[in-house]
Amino acid sequence: MTAILFDGIVQGLQLSLLAVGITLIYGLGGVLNLAHGQFAVFGGVAAALLVSSGVHPLLAAVAGVACAGILGILVDRTLLLPAYRYRGEERLLLGLILTLGLSFVIDGALNYKFPEFSLTFRLPIQVIDVAGIPMRSAGLAASLIAIVVFASLFAFLRLTLLGKTIRSIIENEVGAELCGIDPGRTRTLIVCLATMMAGVAGITQGLFSSLGTEMGPEFTTLGLLVAVVGGVRSVNGTLAAGVLLGIVNAFASHYVGAYVAYIILLCAAIATILVRPAGLLARFT
Amino acid sequence: MLVRVEGLHAGYGLTAVLRDVSIEAHPGEAIAVIGPNGAGKTTLLRTIMGMLRPSRGRVHYDGRDLDGLRTFEVVRLGLVYVPAERELFPTMTVLENLELGAFRDVRAAPERLRYVLELFPRLEERRFQLAGTLSGGEQQMLAIGRALMAGPKVLMLDEPSTGLAPKAVAELYRQLSRLKSAGLTIVLTEQQVPLALSLTDRAYVLEQGAIHLAGRSSDLLGNPSIKKAYLGVT
Amino acid sequence: MKRYLDLAILAVALALVPLLAGDSAYYMRIATLALVYMSWTVAFNLLFGHTKQLFLCLGALAGSAAYVSVVLTQQLHLTPWVSVPVGVACAAALGALFSYVSVLRGLGIIFVGIVTLAFSLIFHNLVLGLRELTNGETGLVSRGLGFPLLERPVAAYYVFFALLAGALAVYSLLMRSRSGMAFRALSDDELTAALSGIDVTRYKVLAAAIASAIIGAGGALYGFYNGIVSPSIFSFVGIDIPVLIGLLLGGMRTRLGPVLGAAAFALIEELVRPFGQLNVLVYGVLLIVLFVAFRDGMVPMLGRAFGASGAFRGTRAPGRASPPGREA
Repeated sequence: MTAILFDGIVQGLQLSLLAVGITLIYGLGGVLNLAHGQFAVFGGVAAALLVSSGVHPLLAAVAGVACAGILGILVDRTLLLPAYRYRGEERLLLGLILTLGLSFVIDGALNYKFPEFSLTFRLPIQVIDVAGIPMRSAGLAASLIAIVVFASLFAFLRLTLLGKTIRSIIENEVGAELCGIDPGRTRTLIVCLATMMAGVAGITQGLFSSLGTEMGPEFTTLGLLVAVVGGVRSVNGTLAAGVLLGIVNAFASHYVGAYVAYIILLCAAIATILVRPAGLLARFT
Repeated sequence: MLVRVEGLHAGYGLTAVLRDVSIEAHPGEAIAVIGPNGAGKTTLLRTIMGMLRPSRGRVHYDGRDLDGLRTFEVVRLGLVYVPAERELFPTMTVLENLELGAFRDVRAAPERLRYVLELFPRLEERRFQLAGTLSGGEQQMLAIGRALMAGPKVLMLDEPSTGLAPKAVAELYRQLSRLKSAGLTIVLTEQQVPLALSLTDRAYVLEQGAIHLAGRSSDLLGNPSIKKAYLGVT
Repeated sequence: MKRYLDLAILAVALALVPLLAGDSAYYMRIATLALVYMSWTVAFNLLFGHTKQLFLCLGALAGSAAYVSVVLTQQLHLTPWVSVPVGVACAAALGALFSYVSVLRGLGIIFVGIVTLAFSLIFHNLVLGLRELTNGETGLVSRGLGFPLLERPVAAYYVFFALLAGALAVYSLLMRSRSGMAFRALSDDELTAALSGIDVTRYKVLAAAIASAIIGAGGALYGFYNGIVSPSIFSFVGIDIPVLIGLLLGGMRTRLGPVLGAAAFALIEELVRPFGQLNVLVYGVLLIVLFVAFRDGMVPMLGRAFGASGAFRGTRAPGRASPPGREA
């Protein structure tokens, strides 16, 4: 029972890690990044390439994350420029199309060049005993990484001026401009952070499972779902939604088949969206 | 002249709202733009702030032409705006909202914060409270306080008395009067005409997108058509 | 009747295709497929172009109708004349349901998109999960189930020609009726439309139901035509993406836009085929370049190039607050 719960939390944290990037990019840039899953895969592929050329896995992982971030900056400063010229719904729609196109480009390129690709990190110890319960060390490591990332993110957003600036833009872009804040410059920074987190998610996927180049669309869809369920502008909500849906999925997978579990997950997500469209933790609409 | 608007034409899409509007504000002055709903008062302030691009005409501030500047750039020049919707950050505390107001000049923040909290003691009391949980009057004070944190030369307010109880309105205007005495240039729009005219030096009457009357507030108070239209005196 | 000149030209052109390509099974198939996608794109135009309902479950809707029809024909030995309408009705009901719930809960475009995307996945997993009924990934064979008309290339072509004609007819009638005005008001500004007394719910659900019916019809017929129904055929990448690209290429809210856009996409697909696996990348680049360069789509662009002749202007309303008598 606890094993399932733990498994659910591990999966849930991965989902949240993916989703929070989407939340941040939407909150700050008003663009829903349909290529987010591909950034995760990209980071993983970069790391794997480095490992296969002899780089130490840890270093390769960090480098992979950095690569995802750099790609994010490039995309924000070039591809998304046409979208940023508009506001509101037009920007959203244009951004949707552009990132959709980008997802195809990355997906197509990666699948073409590395069709047999599979990234798996193997830890020296397979199972660790925690309070008498044997748990997969990979799952623990992945969760630990996710928790550290989230903790840093929260600290950054709550305690630093830059973090508060970012929150202010997400909460009320007009209000932020009235304070003299330039949303554009902060946005590139956030896109970079968001895509780096996607990279982390891709690499941790290779840690407790395995990462394939075809997983991009699935990541994006899951990330989108979790982001929307959590409230597409709320970082806290995204974390809560991811863990919740991860637990739901873990229990469902255990008691029913994989397909039905996925369907249950999707229905749960839809139900939450219908009941609380503003987001799981929404307080002020 | 600190703020000068010349021959402004502005609107939304193909709908023209402002027609050939010209107003000016001198340093240290308080001016009012009064008029009925839909006259274009908000559109005027938004155009000055760069939130809307005029189809014709110019906006000058402190000798500069503001054409093409983004809102945050205008704010950084010292011209701030408190919209009717206030646009606060509801899940952040009073203190954090104020902090962000000083974004353009972080070093001056502590001193300005002292000034603002002294001006609005109620905000000091509630400084760790979330902005979304404040009352209407307190939110208005916070919005003005946040604008003041930018150390502006000109403060523009859109219908500041909206949604406030009479006591809160009276207190608000008391503070505005203090700010005026301290040398701040104020531009405000109002539907509560007597209040606006009592605080300000000069006023413009905006109706259907055009300036119909302009003059000293004291003169306008005695103007019979103003009295009839806005003061309910027959 | 000048108003329908464009449709007449289109009808003649399409009707003549079998005369040119009738001998080649390969080209007939491409042409027939193009017709289905055109019908689907016309439907999506109603959904997304006119009533701003971003349904990202077109494949699932088409697939639902297809699977329902094929399974009913297979298991209950019903004739396709019965099972296809049942399948269409299912799709229409689903579409109407999504629309109704979305309006009820006040969901915006992205929410609708994400909820329908989730449904797309649910459909996919449902098909895979109900393996005994649907044969999972391998799919069901629909050939020889009692729809011989669709097994002859030229006849099948004209069946889908009729489908497209029907779709365009429904579209034109809708646009000319009171619904059309409501759609225009809706797509402009929903709140204002509602305040003007337009029953937003009714028109959105109506549009969704009709569009989903067309999609379902295409799906069910395609299911029989193809000889096999499988989840990969009715997938997001297989149907939603081409339709979306086609609509954007051709021009939203125009009558011929979906048709031309779908045709253009079919052409691009053929051109891109030799690239093999890289075709996805090419679609991505195309999507980006085309959308940045041709924001409005081909039809309005052609309209501007050829002057405002009725043939290319489509059914778009004049700009928002333009005074009467002014050009669009």
